[in-house]
Amino acid sequence: MNTQHGEECIRVLIADDDEHILDAYREAFSEPGSTREVKALDALAAELFDAEEEIVQEPHFEVVACSQGDDAISLAEKASNDGDPFDVVILDVRMPPGIDGVEAGSQIRKLDPNVEIVFVTGFSDVPLEELQRRVPPPMKLHYFSKPLSFIQLAQDVASMVKAH
Amino acid sequence: MSKEFSQLPLQRKVSITLLLTITAFTLISYAILSGVITPAFENLELSAAKTDLVRAERAIDAELENLAAVTADWAPWDDIYEYVSGRSPGFEKSNLVRPTLANLGLDMMAVYTQDSELMWSQLLIEAEEHDIAELGILGPANAAFRLLAQHAGESDKTLGIVRTSLGPMLISSQPILRSDYTGPIAGAVVMAQFMNNAHLARLRERTEVDIEWFYVDETGRHGPQIDPNLIRENGIKIDASESAISSYTVLGDIFGNPVLVLGADTPRDITSLGEQTVTAAMLFLLSAGVLSAIVMWILLRKTILTPIESLTDHMNAIRKSGDLSANLNLDTGDEVGSLAAQFDKLTSEVHDARKALLAQSFKAGKADTAAEVLHNIRNAMTPMINGIDRLKKAFKATDGLRIGEATKQLMDPKCEPEKAAKFAQYINASFEHIKSVNADASEDMNIVMSQSRQIKAILTDQEKFANVAPIAEDIVIDEVVGEAAHVIPKEAKSSISIDLDDDLNRYRVLAHRTGLLQILGNLILNAYESIERGQQSDGRISLSAIDTVIDDQAMVRLTVRDNGSGFSEDVCNRIFRRGFTSKREGDTSGLGLHWCANAVSSMGGRISAESPGAGQGAEFHVLLPAAQGG
Repeated sequence: MNTQHGEECIRVLIADDDEHILDAYREAFSEPGSTREVKALDALAAELFDAEEEIVQEPHFEVVACSQGDDAISLAEKASNDGDPFDVVILDVRMPPGIDGVEAGSQIRKLDPNVEIVFVTGFSDVPLEELQRRVPPPMKLHYFSKPLSFIQLAQDVASMVKAH
Repeated sequence: MSKEFSQLPLQRKVSITLLLTITAFTLISYAILSGVITPAFENLELSAAKTDLVRAERAIDAELENLAAVTADWAPWDDIYEYVSGRSPGFEKSNLVRPTLANLGLDMMAVYTQDSELMWSQLLIEAEEHDIAELGILGPANAAFRLLAQHAGESDKTLGIVRTSLGPMLISSQPILRSDYTGPIAGAVVMAQFMNNAHLARLRERTEVDIEWFYVDETGRHGPQIDPNLIRENGIKIDASESAISSYTVLGDIFGNPVLVLGADTPRDITSLGEQTVTAAMLFLLSAGVLSAIVMWILLRKTILTPIESLTDHMNAIRKSGDLSANLNLDTGDEVGSLAAQFDKLTSEVHDARKALLAQSFKAGKADTAAEVLHNIRNAMTPMINGIDRLKKAFKATDGLRIGEATKQLMDPKCEPEKAAKFAQYINASFEHIKSVNADASEDMNIVMSQSRQIKAILTDQEKFANVAPIAEDIVIDEVVGEAAHVIPKEAKSSISIDLDDDLNRYRVLAHRTGLLQILGNLILNAYESIERGQQSDGRISLSAIDTVIDDQAMVRLTVRDNGSGFSEDVCNRIFRRGFTSKREGDTSGLGLHWCANAVSSMGGRISAESPGAGQGAEFHVLLPAAQGG
């Protein structure tokens, strides 16, 4: 985890073959656009109504996205070599025509034993036991099934990074 | 030629091969018989002809030896010795009488002194006495005379054939000695026999050989039948005619000059017998060959050709019809039968595999499609959920706005202008925030609407694919009913009897196998559950089929009957509607009757139900198009 402008920055690598899904990821993991106006409104309310200002510490994400398993491995390897590894790697299971997400996850795990690996898929054709066998350890392996709220996923990602 | 032959049917190939074999066998047999057997018979016959000639020669030799023996009886004898010495004049009267010649079988006898003077002689021709001078050989001037009337020593004898004026004679001459074979030589005894027809007849009778002889006169001429060129090498010549083989040899006289052609005619009985034998053998071999070929052809046809022909026809029929369920059932018990049984087993396995593959591919196709649809729907739902999540978060952020309180403070006359300005600023900022939230909400609602439309489009596309009709197969009812009945739980089978009609294998329908399996399974399961609900102790489910014709189309009516809880007329009217169930809540499982009705309809059939009333059992009828020949 890096710090940027004094805030914690979580580096996330996302691989999904659906461009619309990638957009949804980017949007969910980006900074809220109206944070400043809302903060000003909250400050004004605190002043006028003698209430305590609610300070919400939003996590900050640095998102790198790609659409193929091979690209994800290359990006993870480069980041690791640069001394700036990803905190979390989110992988779709099926990413035709290249290698699947499980194989990509297995390779990335060999490169970086500490990274949190998250599988997100619309299929349930890979049993969890197989995922745990191929991408150990279970403590750093997470599995989500579509459809899901990426906003919620962003919060879960932040939680899993904080927990370690 | 060989290409044309290889394209012929197997039966014709075998027939031609057998015919060629028989022809070759006949030709080879004929060649062997005529080239080896017949010459062997001819050689045997020639050998017999030579033997006959030798026997004729030996017969003449035997005649001469006999003549020599008779002469030896007279020549060394004291009485005749004394007679020729002139000391026993009574000898002639008592011994040299006319019957003597007849008794000794002689034609001529003469007694000479040592000085070659004729003391006594006798010549008989046809029982008449003649002077031996007529013979022309015993005169002093004749060469034969010296050989016959004069002997140089005790052992000097003359024996052989001589030429006389009256024809050839066998002649023997020995010196006259004392009885103890001592000399001196007193004279000579000469004995002779004519080689005439009577003599020849005797020889023929004794030897049983057709002997003939021809006199060779002094000029060398002899019988007209004999080619002079034949009288050559080794004194033997063979003259073969169609009916006999004549062998000849030349006999010499006591001087070694040709005097007689001796012949023996041997009938060609051996060759004739040989020809008959060869002909009989040929007929036998030909008959045996033809019989063997016929037996072999019948055997080949029965054991190999016809079964292989049946197998080939069966394979061609399968190739044309594609009906792998047909079996040949060629139970011959031999290798061909085993081959046919293996082929039946193979086609049966391929048939089963094809059915399984069809069902599996259909299911797999459905599974793949379903997985793809789920994937697309899940992907489409993710942005929608994100949008809803943002809406929820944004609207939640407006919950804490205290616009009412701020307005109230602003309207209060006691409110300080500076503070009133901040309240106004707060109210204004709050509305701006609400406007911003509304704008974001509107955008998110658009996303939700867009994703909803996408999901609808996915479902519409899926409906199009779902309407693709599966391939109709020719199905024997018996094949699917047994499998469909497996839907009944094992523990229930002891309390429920399932009665399947014996003749279900007679009925064939055109339907989709997996679909029909599911329809029947569903109806049987419904029947079972109906019995369970009715709490029948002797639950019975029966399945039967009959042929029928609906709107000029041949159909098969399948009926699933149970003695379960049944249903009322009202239920009967609604039983195939979507969402209808007569089961208790939570009992619903598998495909419903609505699906069954749609599936039967998609196969070109109809489904109906009837029940006498609640608690009285029910019948479900499924009408399906009959397969051709079903």
